[in-house]
This record gives sequence, structure tokens and C-alpha cells, in this order.
Amino acid sequence: MATVTIDGLSKRYAGGGEPAVKAVSLAVADGEFMVLLGPSGCGKSSVLRMIAGLEPITAGTVAIDGRPVNHVPAKDRDIAMVFQSYALYPHMTVHANLAFGLRRRSVPGDEIDRRVRGVAEKLGLTPFLARKPHALSGGQRQRVALGRAIVRDPKVFLFDEPLSNLDAALRVSTRNELIKQQHELGTTTIYVTHDQVEAMTMGDRICIMNKGEVVQIGKPLEVYRSPADAFVARFLGNPPMNLLPARLEQIGDRAVARFADVAVELPGYPMPALTPYLGGAVTLGIRPEDLYETPPPAVAPRTQQIATRVLAVEPLGAETLLMLATGSSDQEIIARVGRDTGLRMGDAASIALDPNALHLFDPTTTKAIARTT
Amino acid sequence: MAEPAAPPRARIVAWLKGDSVADARQAPARTILLFLAPALVVYAGFTIYPVLRTFYNSVHTIGPHNLQTFVGLDNFVALVTQDRVFWKAVANTTIFTVVGTVADVLGGLLLALCLFAKVPLARAMRVIWFTPVLMSYVIVGIIWVWLYDYDWGLVNLVLGWLGLESLQHSWLGDPATALWAVVVTHLWKWLGFNMIIFLAALHALPEEVLGAAELDNCGWFAKLVYIIIPMLRPTVVNLLVLSFIGKMMMFDLVWIMTAGGPLWSTETVSTYVYKRAFNWNTFDLGYPSAIAVLWFFMILLFVTLMTRLLRQRDRVEF
Amino acid sequence: MRLWLNHLRRTPLLLFLVVYTIVSGGPFLWVMSMSLRTTPEIFDDPYALPVRLHWEKFANAWTNSNYGTYFWNSLIVVVTAVALVTLIGAMAAHCLARYRFRGSRMVRFVILSGMILPPQLLILSLFQILLDYGLYNSLAGLIIVYVATQLAMTVYILEGFFAQLPQDLFDAARMDGYADFEIFWRITLPIGLPAIFTTVTLNFILLWNEYLYAVVLLTDDEKRTLPLGIMHFMGGHQLDVGMIATGLMIAIAPVILLYALFSETMIKGMTAGAVR
Repeated sequence: MATVTIDGLSKRYAGGGEPAVKAVSLAVADGEFMVLLGPSGCGKSSVLRMIAGLEPITAGTVAIDGRPVNHVPAKDRDIAMVFQSYALYPHMTVHANLAFGLRRRSVPGDEIDRRVRGVAEKLGLTPFLARKPHALSGGQRQRVALGRAIVRDPKVFLFDEPLSNLDAALRVSTRNELIKQQHELGTTTIYVTHDQVEAMTMGDRICIMNKGEVVQIGKPLEVYRSPADAFVARFLGNPPMNLLPARLEQIGDRAVARFADVAVELPGYPMPALTPYLGGAVTLGIRPEDLYETPPPAVAPRTQQIATRVLAVEPLGAETLLMLATGSSDQEIIARVGRDTGLRMGDAASIALDPNALHLFDPTTTKAIARTT
Repeated sequence: MAEPAAPPRARIVAWLKGDSVADARQAPARTILLFLAPALVVYAGFTIYPVLRTFYNSVHTIGPHNLQTFVGLDNFVALVTQDRVFWKAVANTTIFTVVGTVADVLGGLLLALCLFAKVPLARAMRVIWFTPVLMSYVIVGIIWVWLYDYDWGLVNLVLGWLGLESLQHSWLGDPATALWAVVVTHLWKWLGFNMIIFLAALHALPEEVLGAAELDNCGWFAKLVYIIIPMLRPTVVNLLVLSFIGKMMMFDLVWIMTAGGPLWSTETVSTYVYKRAFNWNTFDLGYPSAIAVLWFFMILLFVTLMTRLLRQRDRVEF
Repeated sequence: MRLWLNHLRRTPLLLFLVVYTIVSGGPFLWVMSMSLRTTPEIFDDPYALPVRLHWEKFANAWTNSNYGTYFWNSLIVVVTAVALVTLIGAMAAHCLARYRFRGSRMVRFVILSGMILPPQLLILSLFQILLDYGLYNSLAGLIIVYVATQLAMTVYILEGFFAQLPQDLFDAARMDGYADFEIFWRITLPIGLPAIFTTVTLNFILLWNEYLYAVVLLTDDEKRTLPLGIMHFMGGHQLDVGMIATGLMIAIAPVILLYALFSETMIKGMTAGAVR
């Protein structure tokens, strides 16, 4: 149980041009489940490995429980890690794999045995204790890797994309297993993944990274609802948020965004925030679920209609995705509608849009335009 | 409705080309024969036949002008019960093989670990350390005969510089040191070979497992003992067997450096076979053939025992 | 301060590395130096560098001491043997890797078991056989023997590689109407070139340096290969260290030249038989 604080962490690989990690700062509270989310190559694994001590730090500090650990070797940081490939010792039995770290720390024999058996019991590994890793399935190996981390009873857990080697069904059940374990143990956890579903469901907070930098940190729903820039807006949510170029115009004392031959109201944005963009271009964002064929009663009064043409229909069973072309420029957007839609390819459809759910982004910096000044 | 027979040349060409059978894994017998024939003919004539003939020779006395007399197992009996030189040669070869193999494999592992530890100029050193492997035994042997020379050889010279004059020997002239001198030379030639193989194996170890070991409180020594060496076990066993077989058959180096002397202190089974066949006062190919046959079975026995003992029961997959 | 300690800890290691590099590379440099010095100069100071570079020693060795003949003999024998063993070995390897037929396992076993046959088991009978067929003391005889000795290892390495080529390639070729030998010539060989390179390298080095079979099967000075030539010279002129060194350099020069140009390929080639 500990806090982890990173301040200005940077990593430059020898012979590489751009630094892999640029001045990342993050504070993880005691017992918190923090997810580092980002696309491949964004530097999240490098950050994790620097926290673990497996990668030398170029600049910045890592502190565990307030104590800087930059020069503390990995084995003394009281950290346990679960690797993407599980990294089990192939020549040792499951029991030996679990016990190895404890044995190396001179924990007394019966204590080791007690803890190993306890963890094995918890994770359902008791029948496999005498087997070697090559005789286990992927899911079982993953549990042994998790067990090896739990049995150490460390201050911090680090996970490096542990679910990416599992098949879809196994991934869901293991995800829930992990959440349950972390809840019971209450250990501070830092979890790296590129899968936004994992991030949304597992994290207390998400830290989104892109190209070596932190883009946004916040609770999952906060980040979903108020993305800090266009990258975050499109990274979370499946299908991703629709981003469209629009023009901001002033009509009387209100501002409207004009796109697809429609002028939409912007109730969420006070006038002062929009003044710098009046008469110019903005990027408009609307999530597919905020476009309706038939808006529900709660939303219906405030919706505006857009004329569209259906380009493609993707029935997914529980819902249907519509690929629509809007306006004279045939801008494509995706809408998420109910499963019983009667729309077909080529139909003209009038889609309802909820202006409250609109996001605006600066067209050059791609940052979200603040809803307050 | 009979077709006129195709001219012979066209028929042969058609025969050589074969049918195009739909299944690419099948081929008509004649195609398979065509592919295998050259290799099998050479192999049968110059490997299998000689082996069989050696077995045949071993139960005969083969005198000059191919005079053959059947002697049954006499050669073998004489070999085992009366031939002291043979048993001395077996002892020498065994010492040479056992010591040499262990030193070879351990040394190769040590060198590989040195290069694995991210030292500067590792690539250049790798190339230089491998050079002795490429040199013929003739070259290696002659160089080391010179290095071991009592008067102007570098070995004694260096010992002199270090103030260890008492250790200076006539390395190849003294029966007590000759065999060890040859072992060292053989080691010098082959360490680079094992080093390369171990280095490749070390680089193939999964990085994350080594990372996990670090987090499990392993310093470099613990990592070596508990993780790296156990994971390298298949490579170690392979190299032990390979090295063992190679040294049991060793002829060139010994012949060039000492020709089995002084006083049979470096006589190996292979040099003895050569001597009995070509350098003996009576010409008889039967007896040395018997030595070769017996030695072959001894090698087979040792190798089988070794692999049985050392091979693991389950795989180390990663 | 910490950096210093790190460096200090590694000093014994670095020292060992330097020493071993000198030990493994030194002797070669020493021979190279001696090959350019006269014998009296060498006995004066065995380990000094040459004052004058006596390039004429090489010409001398080439013509007067017959090293030229030895070199050509080695070249002819080794190049021919390597070419032959590569061709017939590749054919056999291709057949074993690609086709399923009754007895293929037996054939593979028989050929590959040749790798553990000690030379002593073969040499005496080969001596008799070559005598019987009039191939004794001939380069042709030695070539055939070399092909036979290297066949097992060559087939082992090539078969392992060929077996890993995707079967789809061959199925497609079949469907395109290629005949069997064409498939071998136009598909297996070109794609299998890396493996063929490694076996060519391995065989070249092993046969260039080969001594035992050559010393038993050749007696004429005109037919001697380089290793034999050197030993013969050594026998007659044991004290002419300078000329012996020159001879050694002639023997090793091609190898070192190839190594300087293709060190990676050669390292891979030489270790190919051992890496599983």
C-alpha cells in the first residue's frame, strides 16, 4: 500500500531521435487503480518499466511513498509486476514459480508454503502446483503470473498489458477476476493497456498518453464526457466520436455552429468562451450515441434535425450502426440507432442531434474549447 | 487405336521430366530416385561400404597384396587383453575428452557471458575470438609447437617475466605435461565456437523472464545460477555431446604436435590406429580395423549414456 | 562516485577480455609477422615486428618450395568437392524434405547417422578401396572421399531448412505446371540460398583445413594439398621457421580474407551444424 508519484519523467533511448517519454507527471493515490492508456508506441510501457526499475531513467523522479527510488535497484522497490508474456520461469513448477521471489528474500520455509498455498487457493491454481508452465493454458499461465505478484504482498502492482495475449472470452472473465482481486487486496496498482474497454471498466482513474506525453488524467466517465482534446475524444468510445469541420457564426447574441447546411445551437458553451472563434473554423464533435433516429422523450424537445443520406447499415444485433452522409459536402458521420430501425442503404434519413452533447475543439491545436473561461 | 511410338530421345526426356502429379507431396518413383541417386551412390560406395569393409577387416589379418586370413575374434581378444598401448591410448583419449569437453563448454559459456554483459567493442571481440576456429589443425599445431618451445617459446618466456621460472617446462617433451599442453591448444582453437553458440542462446532468452527475476530479488549471480543456466540446459547438453564426440575422434592436432609421444603420453586411439596401419613393421590392416570398430562401439556407448543421463524428461519451452 | 564504483567493479572483467583477445588473436598476428621475416631475423628476436618486409619469401615459397602447387591442388579439390556435395546434397535434402514416400525415414536415418561415424572407421577401408579402383594418390579420389564425408552434415543442414519452406509455394508451383526438377531448380535452390551459403562456407573451411584423409590418400608431392604440403616442408626443414611461417600464411590467407569480408556468414556457417 503506497502512493506512487512521478515527476517530469523522461526517457530517451540511445541513438533514437525523439524521446520516448517526455516529462510525464502523475500522482497515484494509495490503493488506487490507475490505468495508463494509449496507442502502441506512446511510451506507456516505458513509463511502467521506469517505475519498476527495469529501465534507466533519463530525467525526472519516481517516488514511492514519498521516497525517491531513481537509484534504488528494482528488487528493492517492493514492487511486483505482471508481464504481457507472463514471464514465468519455464523450468520451474507453478509452486516454484510462486515461491521463487519469497525464497530469494529468505522468507522462512513454512511461511512461503502458507502464502503460496493461500494464493493458489484464491486463484484456483491448487491442482496445477506441480505442473510446469508449458503444460498450462494461456489463462492458467496468466493466473500464475498474477499469483506470483500477489504472493509477494508488495506495495505496488504493475501490469503491462496482461490481457492482450488472451482470447476475447477469457479476457472478459480475467478482467473481472483482476478487478475483484485488486479490490480485496487494496494494493496500489498501475495498469498499462491500449484497450479502452479495459481502461474504462477497471480504472479508478485513467491517464491517457500519446507520443510520450500525458494528454489527460481523470476518472473514466469524466474523461469520456469531457475529453481534453480530439485525440482523447476519438480514442475512447467505440465507434469513435464523429469529428467534423464547422464554422462558428454569430446570430444576434448567440453563437451557432454551421455544418452540413444546419446551424446548431451550442447551449453548453457560454459566449465568452466562443468569442475568439467567431467567424472562423472549429472542429465539432458528436458521439454516435448522441445521434438519434427517434430521440427518447427526455432528449427530444431540444434536438435539432439534420438531413442525411444512408451510405451503409451495419446491424450488430443489439444495435445498428448507420454510416451517413451529411450536407452538400457529403461529410460522413456514424450514428448508433436501435436494432429495429427500418432504414436501408440509399434512404434519406432525418437524424436528431442533441446540442447538449456537442463538443468543440480548436481546429489547429485540437484541444477542447473550454466550457468556462 | 495405336499411336506411333515417340522417338527415344523424346521418351527419355519425358521420363526425366516426370508426370505432373496433382499432389505436390507425391512424386513418381523415378523422380525420387533421380534426386536421391547421386547422394546414395556416393554414400553407399564411400561411406557404407567402407564401414562394412572395416568390420570385415577387423575379423581378418590383411597382409600385403591383400592377403586375407580369417582370424575370428583374435584381433579383439589380443587388443583387449594384451595391448597395453591401446589401453594407454584409451586412457589418454578419455582424459583428453572429459577434461577438454568440460573446459570447452564451461569456457565457452564464460566467454559468452562476458560478451553478453554489454561490454564495449563486444562485436569486434566476437569476431576476433572466433578466428582460431577457422584455422586448420596444421597451422594451430605448428604455432603452438613453437609457443611451447623450451628456449624461445612464448609460454616459457611469459613465465620468466612473471618470475615463475620454476614452472618452465619442455611442455611437449615432458611426458607429464604433454597431454595437458595439447588439451590447452585444443581448447584455444575451439572456445570461440562454443562461445558463439552460447551467445546466440543467451540473446534468445526472453527478456521479460530476466526482468521478472530482477524483481524477484536476483542479482547477476542469482540470475545466472537460478534462471540463465537452467534455461540454457538444452544448449549445454548439445554442446557437451558434440564436443565429446569430436574429441573422441581427434587425430590431426595430436599427430602434428607430438605424433603420440613422448613415450605414448599423448597417444590417442586415432593416432594408434594410424600407426598400426601405416607405421608398423608388419603390414596388417586387420588389427587397426579391429581397434577402430571397438572404439566406435565405445563411443556409441558413452554417447548413449551421456544423453540418457543429461537429457531432461520434459521440454523447456519458452 | 557511484559511476566510479561501477567502473571499478568491471575492471577485472575488462582486463580478462583484453587478455583473452590478445591470446586468441595474437598468434595469428605473430605468424603474419614471421612470414615476412627471414629465419635468422626470427631467431634473433622471435617476437619483434619485421624491419624489412620480405615479400619475396612468398614468391620463393610459391615456386621453389612448391607451395604454389599445393595451393592449386587444395583449390581444385576443395572447390570441386564443395560444388558436388552441395549439388547432390541439396537434391537429396529437397527430396527428403518435400516428398512423402515409403522408406524416406529410413533413408534419412541412414544418411544422417553418417555424422557420428569416426574417420578411423572409414579411413583404412577407403585406403583399400581407392587402391582397388586406381583412385589412390589422385585428386579425383580425394574429391569423391571428401564429398562422401561431408554429405551427411550437408543433408542435415539443408533438409532442416528446406522442410521449413512453406508447402503452399510448392503446391502453387505444381498447379502452375512445373515439373519436379524444375521446382527444385527454380524454387528450392533460389529460396534456400542462405542455407546453401552456410553449408558452402562450412564445407569449404572444413575441407580446406582437412588433414587426415589427405595424408592417407595422397603420396605424390605434386598432388599434395596445402596442409600436407606444410607438414612435408616442416618434416624436411624443421628449423626454417621463417619459411614455414610463410607457408602457413599462404594456407590461411584465403580463409582470413573471406572472413574479413563475410565474418557473419562464416560464423553462422561454421556453427550451423550445432545450433538446433
